Amino acid sequence: MPLQVFTRSVADPGSLAVVEYRPRQRVVAVSAGARARGVEPGTGLAGARAIAPDLELKERDPALEQRTLAEFATWAGCFTPAVSIDAPDGIVIEVSRSLRLFGGLPKLAAKLEKDAASLGFDVRLAAAPTPLGARWLAEAKPGTLTRPSSGWDRCLDSLPLHVLAADPAVSRATIDLLHGIGARSIGDVARLPRDGLARRQGTSVTHALARAHGEVPDPRPWHHPPERFDARLVLPAAADKIEPLLFASRRLVTSLVAWLTGLHAAVDRCCLCLEHEDRPATVVHIITGQPGRAEDRFLMLMREHLAVLQLDAPVEALRLSADTPVIRSACTPDLFGDPGQARDAATLLLDRLRARLGKAAVRSLRPWPDHRPEHAWRESEPGAHNLVQSRKGLPRPAWLLPEPRHLPSIDGLVMLAGPERIESGWWDGEDVRRDYFVARTRNAALWWIFRRLDRPGGWYVHGYFG
Amino acid sequence: MSALPAASVATLTSLPPGLVWTAGRLARPTRKGWTTGFPALDAALPGDGWPRGAIIELISAHPGIGEIHLLLPLLRRAPADKWIAWVAPPCLPYAPALASLDMPLSQLLLIDVPDHAGTIWATRQALASGACHAVLAWNRHVDAAALRRLQLAAEESDTPLFLFRPPAAARQPSPATLRLQLVAAHDGLDIVILKRRGPAAAHPIRISVNRRLNDLSSHALDSPDPARLAPAGIHTQCG
Repeated sequence: MPLQVFTRSVADPGSLAVVEYRPRQRVVAVSAGARARGVEPGTGLAGARAIAPDLELKERDPALEQRTLAEFATWAGCFTPAVSIDAPDGIVIEVSRSLRLFGGLPKLAAKLEKDAASLGFDVRLAAAPTPLGARWLAEAKPGTLTRPSSGWDRCLDSLPLHVLAADPAVSRATIDLLHGIGARSIGDVARLPRDGLARRQGTSVTHALARAHGEVPDPRPWHHPPERFDARLVLPAAADKIEPLLFASRRLVTSLVAWLTGLHAAVDRCCLCLEHEDRPATVVHIITGQPGRAEDRFLMLMREHLAVLQLDAPVEALRLSADTPVIRSACTPDLFGDPGQARDAATLLLDRLRARLGKAAVRSLRPWPDHRPEHAWRESEPGAHNLVQSRKGLPRPAWLLPEPRHLPSIDGLVMLAGPERIESGWWDGEDVRRDYFVARTRNAALWWIFRRLDRPGGWYVHGYFG
Repeated sequence: MSALPAASVATLTSLPPGLVWTAGRLARPTRKGWTTGFPALDAALPGDGWPRGAIIELISAHPGIGEIHLLLPLLRRAPADKWIAWVAPPCLPYAPALASLDMPLSQLLLIDVPDHAGTIWATRQALASGACHAVLAWNRHVDAAALRRLQLAAEESDTPLFLFRPPAAARQPSPATLRLQLVAAHDGLDIVILKRRGPAAAHPIRISVNRRLNDLSSHALDSPDPARLAPAGIHTQCG
């Protein structure tokens, strides 16, 4: 866990060691690259530096570990609502009611492992009828999947003694004592006379054994998914390229989607903060046209946003947050094609274009009741219905020039229609007095031209009839 | 190539349509195209209309010769949940005119792009999404590789792409299914078919666009219709 909070954000962490400075300077966990070079957990800091001088060191971050574990527990909410955090590095999920949905225990276990890997976690997983039993198995014999049949707890007997150490109530001295009297496994401890053991060591060991075997209840507080999603991912090395950022943001999006799935909810916006070392974070707002929880859609928009992003400084950490989820049940695929699908594709295209080109670059137009041609239209939001009816009958060109172009002469133009006097706009200072004509040019194009009635006069072309 | 024996010609013609295509005939695609709204043009096009998923190149020297009117019948038929994408048009499409021509303006997606690569990207996205009834793109320079990619995107999503290109493009090869050169004429628009799936067209097809305007010319100047061509606006002074 101390290592995985850093390594999950990159494809290849290289030689990385997580160290702690208190109570003494030592290496807590190492990546595969560092292990291959001979750095082992428990090594002193100086020793590790001597073995591999270019070792990347990260200080252990318990707060981040805690938050990441909570994020992981939230993620597990898409498998079952009964999730409980088993500090410091585990979660317990109650899956007996989800087995049928996921096609049995082995299939569910395989899916859990695969999905956790897509979140960037390497998990050790075991199943047992009691939470503590499952925890012990995951620690000592990962991959064991036991079922609640009679005698299932026999497999606990062969577990080594040190699994007991995970229980904070069991002190180090107790384990040393048990070891001293010749107990090597849980089975050995279980065969000791219970009342004698309880008299010497308090009830902690016997209580733990009873909980593991399911003889006394072991209630756990349920983990409730947070109202607001906020996940932070620390990069082991600062990145200023798009690929590592995309890789890391995929982890976050996977987590976001799991949060939404667990809540049966959808969001239409989320916010990605790229944190730098010594300057304010770069904030990217990702807005989808409509609430959804499709992973590829968020990722696609994120890719477009990151592709156009200019980074001033390398990124140290990423943070993805989202709030105000809208409750929405999963949509059932329709045998005869989804009528909403076309509409969905339409908003998706709009989102995608706007993510790359900017909001203002994709627009629609509508007529506006004003006689002056330059003012007779407005930009509008694509898809919005306009209520202004345009007048029919008067010739209007399909193309309007941004600025009227001055014509030195009108030789060769044949006037087809006109004049149409447009005289308006005294109230806002953009007064126009013009006589408009439809003219045919020598090469038979149709132009919309006007003569200025005010000084300095002259002929202008204002539009083309398409 | 008229050396084919009469018997084998008879065999060929007796085969089911669509199995063998001889170059002297218009291709008959398995699906009919979208009708252009101009019967003379429909008759000259394979599939009796605009091909459904293909690039249609429209080559013209300058805007304002009736190119929008040529596409209007197709654009008017856009279903309510699809866009009509205009990528990098040369001037501003004038909303009052388009509205009075019954174009569904709320479905218009006007896309401004910063550069040439952006045009290709946006065009391809619009095609690939399958969310557009038709895509209209204006692009002066587009290379063969980009054209092929666009053609593939158009085929896959079954969306027609109308690509407006300058006259110089007519001499370059292109993977477009249909290439038309638009030439303005006094009472309409001459369409020269540069490439189609079928024999070369003998002569241009004349369609009438902007008929109302051309009709106006007969009487407008000498007897202006006061009801229609009265000065518009608020008059501050008698002039």
